[in-house]
Amino acid sequence: MTHDDDTPSRLTRRAVLATLGVGATSGCIRSIQSTAGRDTADQLALSVKTLPADADPRATRIARFLVTNLNQVGIDAKVVPMSREELFRDVLLNQSFDVYVAQHPGSHDPDFLRPLTHSAFDVEIGWSNPFGYADLELDDLLDRQTRVTSDRRDKTLDTIQQKLVRNQPFSTVCFPETIRSTRDGRFVGRDDLPVHSVPWYLSLTEQATGEAVDTDSSTVNTQTPSANTTAVETTTAETPDESEPTVFQMTLSDSRPTENLNPLAVEFRCPDSVTSLLYDAPARYVDGDVVPWLAESIELVTEGDGNELVGYLRLREDLTWHDGTSLTAEDVAFTFAFLQDTSFGSSSTPVPSPRFRELTSLVDSAEATSDREVRLEFGRVSEPVAERVFTVPVLPEHIWTNQTGRAMGSSLNTDSNVTKALVWNNPNPVGSGPFEFVSSTVKQSVVLEPFEDHFLAGGSVDGRAGEFHVPTFDQLVFKLVPSSGAAVELLQRGEADATASPLLPEEVSTIGQDDSLALHVAESNQFYHVGYNVRRAPLSNPRFRRAIAGLVDKGHLVDDVFRGYASPASSPLGSDGDAVPPALHWDQTDPELPFHGSNGELDVDAAREVFRDLGYRYTEDGRLLSG
Amino acid sequence: MANSLSTLSVLLVQVLVGVSVLLGLTSLVVVGPTRLQTLRQEKRARLREALPYLGLLVAVLIVNKVVRDIIPEISWLIGLNVTSYIFAIEGATVSDIQSVATPELTAYFSFVYIFGYVFLLVFPFIAYLSLRDLKPLKRTALAYALNYSLGLVFYTLFISYGPRNLIPDLVDPLLYSTYPQTQILTSKVNTNTNVFPSLHTSLSVTAAALAWQTRKVYPYWLAIASVFAVSISLATMYLGIHWAIDVVVGAGLGLFCVGVASWYVDRL
Repeated sequence: MTHDDDTPSRLTRRAVLATLGVGATSGCIRSIQSTAGRDTADQLALSVKTLPADADPRATRIARFLVTNLNQVGIDAKVVPMSREELFRDVLLNQSFDVYVAQHPGSHDPDFLRPLTHSAFDVEIGWSNPFGYADLELDDLLDRQTRVTSDRRDKTLDTIQQKLVRNQPFSTVCFPETIRSTRDGRFVGRDDLPVHSVPWYLSLTEQATGEAVDTDSSTVNTQTPSANTTAVETTTAETPDESEPTVFQMTLSDSRPTENLNPLAVEFRCPDSVTSLLYDAPARYVDGDVVPWLAESIELVTEGDGNELVGYLRLREDLTWHDGTSLTAEDVAFTFAFLQDTSFGSSSTPVPSPRFRELTSLVDSAEATSDREVRLEFGRVSEPVAERVFTVPVLPEHIWTNQTGRAMGSSLNTDSNVTKALVWNNPNPVGSGPFEFVSSTVKQSVVLEPFEDHFLAGGSVDGRAGEFHVPTFDQLVFKLVPSSGAAVELLQRGEADATASPLLPEEVSTIGQDDSLALHVAESNQFYHVGYNVRRAPLSNPRFRRAIAGLVDKGHLVDDVFRGYASPASSPLGSDGDAVPPALHWDQTDPELPFHGSNGELDVDAAREVFRDLGYRYTEDGRLLSG
Repeated sequence: MANSLSTLSVLLVQVLVGVSVLLGLTSLVVVGPTRLQTLRQEKRARLREALPYLGLLVAVLIVNKVVRDIIPEISWLIGLNVTSYIFAIEGATVSDIQSVATPELTAYFSFVYIFGYVFLLVFPFIAYLSLRDLKPLKRTALAYALNYSLGLVFYTLFISYGPRNLIPDLVDPLLYSTYPQTQILTSKVNTNTNVFPSLHTSLSVTAAALAWQTRKVYPYWLAIASVFAVSISLATMYLGIHWAIDVVVGAGLGLFCVGVASWYVDRL
């Protein structure tokens, strides 16, 4: 493309000639027409949208690497840094981008590829085919993998990966490891759970005093232990000021939760962090397994002639919302209907919630059959794919029915019917989660407190949910920090207990040198990728996208930018492992589209040759022409 | 949550104490005990006379504080993201400046960027309030007010991230990588999309240009202000916070504001 919507379009030669009236008075009309009738080729221009280094230096550096090499092959490319919500607004809602670099929010199941690349999702917003990619054969395969099981599903997923890697609607770059740190203190979470995951918060246990060694004397926290007390019950006695609440402080380097706590607002929720503490779901992921949560039991059975899957969900007794209203099966049924159409029938076409689309698109209907029972119809969907549906957060019907109207003055530039529910800030969230909302200050903090009427606060609970409890501190505070370095600084000074937002690899050595800090490194499925808007030429051409992908040295970026805390990958399902077909396993280099060069250095001549082979022409001074 | 404030408060106290010491020493040397003595007596009358100008400055600062959180949102709607254009024009200038980095230089520039800047901006009020002729004081207040107001217009019209945000592969965020805690302070005052132009530069140049106007009375202050203004302008680039273009336009803005303020005050 010769221009994008960020820059005023340049006058084409045709327009200039038309304005000057050339041709109308000339005698040799035909010859002028044949030259002026073609737009002269301009240098090919591409903008690469990404986050600024303050938000994520790794995304910025991947984009910079790509753009530097695009410039080397003669393309007029530039990096356009944007804040998180603006970037996601442009990419996920407005389709206003050429190329972007970002992290995918990740998923527990490969079924996320269905909304991401299925052409039926092209018209939807959110992580629903932002690329505008369409391949009918792929669509069939994506649908098929929701129905078939075990070996047959694996095979289907193999073919899907091969198709995606071959056609490159987006280029997977790498799977990062998330680095977090906790400070030895009064509350300790379970080591086997990722820090900042909901189960981790619900595993935070008050330490028997004396164990928590506090080496930093400047700590002004109430967690300073005294040596002569051993029992947990006596800890309150040693707290000098009883009125001072015990606060568990997390650092957050993403300001979005301080501005918006709407679980449906897609540009504020990728990845999700704070809202999942506020909103409980019928089931939650623990260690990769779907564990009944608000539900006492979940049963999936095939019924009828068509082998249609039906789910029976039974809620626990006496569930309540944070505002004291009781949570019933009606709320659950409402949630599924509402997420499928947030206008709740008031609009001519349904307005689904872009978040949870992967899951709600599997549900045919949901109906409350009693106060505590819900029946869900799935159609032909396999059990492992369907059970994830129960991890959707339940929304209180009495609050969200007021948000079905059309949103006014939202910055979504679609004139389609966007509902209030999708753009609402949700300033006073009412959920049923283990923490309830206390207050928030824009760009400063979010304060939560344990929800005393939560089912885990009451005592013994059956099943795996019973491993967890509502923590005994008075407040959970998410405090905004300007950077990863500042987060570690606060942790070292005892002004924070753990980091919610991931840290940069640069911080690892500082954490290692401090005895009171623990390092937590976890694998992540939130892969970095380069996304292409295939609605726009020449990105519509898969060969052109493959040529661009060859400009990214994934292995080098992982070493240099991620300092090894990532795995380079070709497939969106991983670097290697069972989920990835052997032909797509990473082995020293990208199995499908190796970098044109080595050690981060582009072999410019070889790379330009690739573009020449595609039929692109170069000017004498080396600019690649758009047509 | 007394503890949550401590890093910030410690920094604030450090800045307060550091700047006060600088101000006290400089006042003694530059202004002299005689003038400070008369200042004590005539303080009220002089403040009353300069009140419209000082009041305007305070009003502008209050407006600035109120709209600071809204500006970025308006900017994303109507503003132009000029980051990549600035980089296209000046390239890796900032990276070249950083190539001379040493720990001592980083310490020096970090000091002038935070302490020196506050000192350079506050001292003129002490110096000019100590003069019988209040025109320099009025010019200072008006020029500062203009800087902040025009800065706000620029920040609304242009979205621009600094070099450390666009080209982290070439530019090190030296201030924040060396002293991470300083970002807790600066992020309370600055928004990272507002780098074009550099208000650090424009206000420093303003202070230096005003010092030039009063060089006959305060020759030493001209020397001090010039050294600080040049150091602060360089620091914004050396620390990876601003582009060279931000500094050039900032310097222009500073001179423009002094020009307008002088014309207005002297015309009376």
